[in-house]
Amino acid sequence: MLSALIVSLKVVGVATLVIGVVGTLLALLLARVRFPGRTLLELVLTLPLVLPPTVVGFFLLYVLGRGSPVRDWLGLDLLFTWQGAAVAASAVGLPLMLQSARAAIAAVDPQLEDAARTLGRSEPEVLLRVTLPLAHRGILAGLFLGAARALGEFGATLMVAGNIAGRTRTLPMVVYDAALNGDLALAAQTSLLLSGIAFLALFATRRLEQPAQR
Amino acid sequence: MSAERLLVDIEKRYPAFHLQVRLSVGAEVMVLYGPSGAGKTMTLRAIAGLLRPDRGEIWLDGRLLFRSDGRQRALNVPAHRRRVGLVFQDYALFPHLTALENVAFGLRGPGRREEALRWLRRMRLEHVAHHYPSQLSGGQKQRVAIARTLATAPSALLLDEPFSALDPDAKGRLQRELRELQAELGLPVLYVTHSLEDAFAVGHRIAVIAEGKVQQVGRLEEVLSSPASWQVARAFGLPNLVRARVRAAAADGLHLDWDGLELLAAPRDLPSGREVLAYIRPEEVRFIYPDRPLSAAVRHNRLRVRVVEQRLGRDFRLVRVRTVGPPWAELEVRSPPGTYGDLPLDPDSELEAAIRPAGIVVLEATGPPVEADH
Repeated sequence: MLSALIVSLKVVGVATLVIGVVGTLLALLLARVRFPGRTLLELVLTLPLVLPPTVVGFFLLYVLGRGSPVRDWLGLDLLFTWQGAAVAASAVGLPLMLQSARAAIAAVDPQLEDAARTLGRSEPEVLLRVTLPLAHRGILAGLFLGAARALGEFGATLMVAGNIAGRTRTLPMVVYDAALNGDLALAAQTSLLLSGIAFLALFATRRLEQPAQR
Repeated sequence: MSAERLLVDIEKRYPAFHLQVRLSVGAEVMVLYGPSGAGKTMTLRAIAGLLRPDRGEIWLDGRLLFRSDGRQRALNVPAHRRRVGLVFQDYALFPHLTALENVAFGLRGPGRREEALRWLRRMRLEHVAHHYPSQLSGGQKQRVAIARTLATAPSALLLDEPFSALDPDAKGRLQRELRELQAELGLPVLYVTHSLEDAFAVGHRIAVIAEGKVQQVGRLEEVLSSPASWQVARAFGLPNLVRARVRAAAADGLHLDWDGLELLAAPRDLPSGREVLAYIRPEEVRFIYPDRPLSAAVRHNRLRVRVVEQRLGRDFRLVRVRTVGPPWAELEVRSPPGTYGDLPLDPDSELEAAIRPAGIVVLEATGPPVEADH
């Protein structure tokens, strides 16, 4: 279980980073920029929330596999690596981040951004000093949810990265293997660990969603 | 008027609205006055660089901020480089920053804190420097907003209905402070309001805007007593706007027919038969004492009226009357509070009144019909 814990931590660490950066940028795009196809993009990015994870994994096989730009142009072969698992975890965690962050950014009064502009602040400064600080609770809440979902990822990860002990076997897979092999004690321990972490993430999210005490 | 500092000549078309504004503001407080939806806020946003006009030019102190001929070639200085300070209607203070941090927001480099503090002291706000906007009163918020804008040393100051939400006390104080600040900094100030009281309290000159167009610019008393068009008269909510027809332009004045009542207005050259809109100044309608010799002021335009109601204000007496006989319309009569002490002015009293010819302002003939007896 220790090696699986380490793999899970690596996967979740990278996935959280990806979800945080990509999610914030996409949320800004969806909340603040009007462009044709905005709704379509939003729906596509939200799909992993409702699709079977195996379907997401199947699509990712195409995105990461032979003939894809990632593999052939960038020379990255992520299939059956922990990095591949991180990509799968990111894809599944991203919609939760998007929902929360987009709503938080949309709720920032555009007049405050206008005020910052007339006070001599350029667009990046407006973003860093007004928009993101005012939306930070929703963004963090989304990040916790997305990270929790990434930690619990099973189906898509299995499709993309397999279940290789010490390399791509994450904590949810330990539960699956242990239960199949009749090692109920290990399955129970791991399940409890995952449940505890998920509970903490939800608790943190809940705290963030309550209005600021000011 | 001082030299022109801010020059605006812009146009923007929407499906149902056409903004067409020409203004030049010197080192003065120019009031931009008009009903809601007239395009006042839009004009401020365009000057600040938050709204892009379709065509036109904006100059500030010889700097070109915007120019477009409506096609591709355009110059549009972004809002953050315009040095145009805009104070928003509901203050737009940053809720996550203290008063001090709000004021320091637009400042850079070392000493920004000291500079922000200096402005807070200037606006008598140092005691709330570390309060968040939600802990401030309306007047304090407005002063923080003004301090925040002035701290960036703008070349022009725009205020959007700045004091509309304040109680009369705070409003009066802020209006005085604003005039002092303007005089001290020598800034062109454009002050948007739809309250005449506000306009009188702060404005050197007024620009009346209606339906997206600047209708008239001038000193306030001047514009108020001689509105240039029915839109201006409407914007001021002036009473006694009547439709009349020109009978003849004679040497003694312009003879008008107001639905059966003959009126003599100040001389003006208009063709007979022309439909015009006239504004009868309420302070130029006089009641006549039946037992006293007639003065020159009441020689013309005599009419019998019946009192509808009377209202006393702190500095005026207002009587609404209805003419007995054509045109059977209502008129507002305004006088200083001490006048007509021994005349019966209770509702339904009947008496005689007269209108001085100079008190009948003939406006442009164009415009939609107005209800003569509103």
